[in-house]
Amino acid sequence: MRYNEKELQALSRQPAEMAAELGMRGPKKGSVLKRRLVKLVVNFLFYFRTDEAEPVGALLLERCRVTREEPGTFSISFVEDPERKYHFECSSEEQCQEWMEALRWASYEFMRRSLIFYRNEIQKVTGKDPLEQFGISEEARFQLSGLQA
Amino acid sequence: MKLNERSVAHYALSDSPADHMGFLRTWGSPGTPPTPSGTGRRYWFVLKGNLLFSFESRKGRVPLSLVVLEGCTVELAEAPVPEEFAFAICFDAPGVHPHLLAAEGPAAQEAWVKALSRASFGYMRLVVRELESQLQDARQSLALQHHSSWKPTASCCKPQARNNRSVVLENGHPLSKDCSPVGLVEEAGSRCAGLGLAERELQGPASLLLGRGQSPVSPETSNFSTLHDWYGQEIMKLQQHWQQRAQGRQPECEEQDKP
Repeated sequence: MRYNEKELQALSRQPAEMAAELGMRGPKKGSVLKRRLVKLVVNFLFYFRTDEAEPVGALLLERCRVTREEPGTFSISFVEDPERKYHFECSSEEQCQEWMEALRWASYEFMRRSLIFYRNEIQKVTGKDPLEQFGISEEARFQLSGLQA
Repeated sequence: MKLNERSVAHYALSDSPADHMGFLRTWGSPGTPPTPSGTGRRYWFVLKGNLLFSFESRKGRVPLSLVVLEGCTVELAEAPVPEEFAFAICFDAPGVHPHLLAAEGPAAQEAWVKALSRASFGYMRLVVRELESQLQDARQSLALQHHSSWKPTASCCKPQARNNRSVVLENGHPLSKDCSPVGLVEEAGSRCAGLGLAERELQGPASLLLGRGQSPVSPETSNFSTLHDWYGQEIMKLQQHWQQRAQGRQPECEEQDKP
């Protein structure tokens, strides 16, 4: 699958929601823990060698699962292959907790659900569709039917 | 640069709703300089979130290409062949050429330009925050209208400051824009176990406000945090309901998304 790598690299240089040096271990058997600068930008998790400006890689965070592993460690895996895990070692329990929370809401799909929920609630309270003022009430992405998964 | 392509492809094909789809003509592919000659090639495009995928055909099971749509603008454009309904996705990144695409008619062109312009994560985040604040305003003003029909109920405990976001709330600042409802909720919700299903009626948060002797008119921080706790309960219940419907749940794991 081709993708717009230059644009993705540019995205990795944007202000991050979270950034820290963590220990990271890939999903393959026998992977070694490596220090990586890990940066959360929108729904992508970029990881860099600590002395390099361009990321080694990126993880799209849609349909991901964030799981606590050993103390101070969490893993990211994906719904279609939950045993294939990327491990991240934090320097403290607090840091681990912070990252897990941030990653939990770092997906477009999560925001879509929040938006639909709020839209629905506002409609219940006010009787009006709050998206009408933005001219986006008919957009497919904001329909309640999007939640029937 | 590595990318978790297998997962990305799965997301492209998953049941989660596509935001837009249709046939488009394209000249060149992502990452290559455009060769704007001739009529281009026709592919099936699917927009999901901030990702634009192309497939060989409508039934394609393997995405051919992906354009990540953050930091782009979408403009009407001139096509190499006249009478094409063309538009371009432009990025402000060094060495990046605009992606030229053409729709099958003027309505499709307009729909695609609109859909792509609103595809960014940042846009979605703005809308969510705006609705979040509108809902609070709506609840508050409705609470004022129902002023006389309340009775005090058991008060909800305040969320403890566990991270910066909670602390910001408690220190009397207006609701921080960084606060996501569910994030706060997952902490607060577990502590407000006293709030039962019955209290999901509108009187719930309003009666809490009165019960604690606060004026609903004054924009005190604790009003917001109480409202937030209450919404949080609802969101948590909805989330649990969705998760139970999905494929089964493993203990101690926070599943972020469902198929």
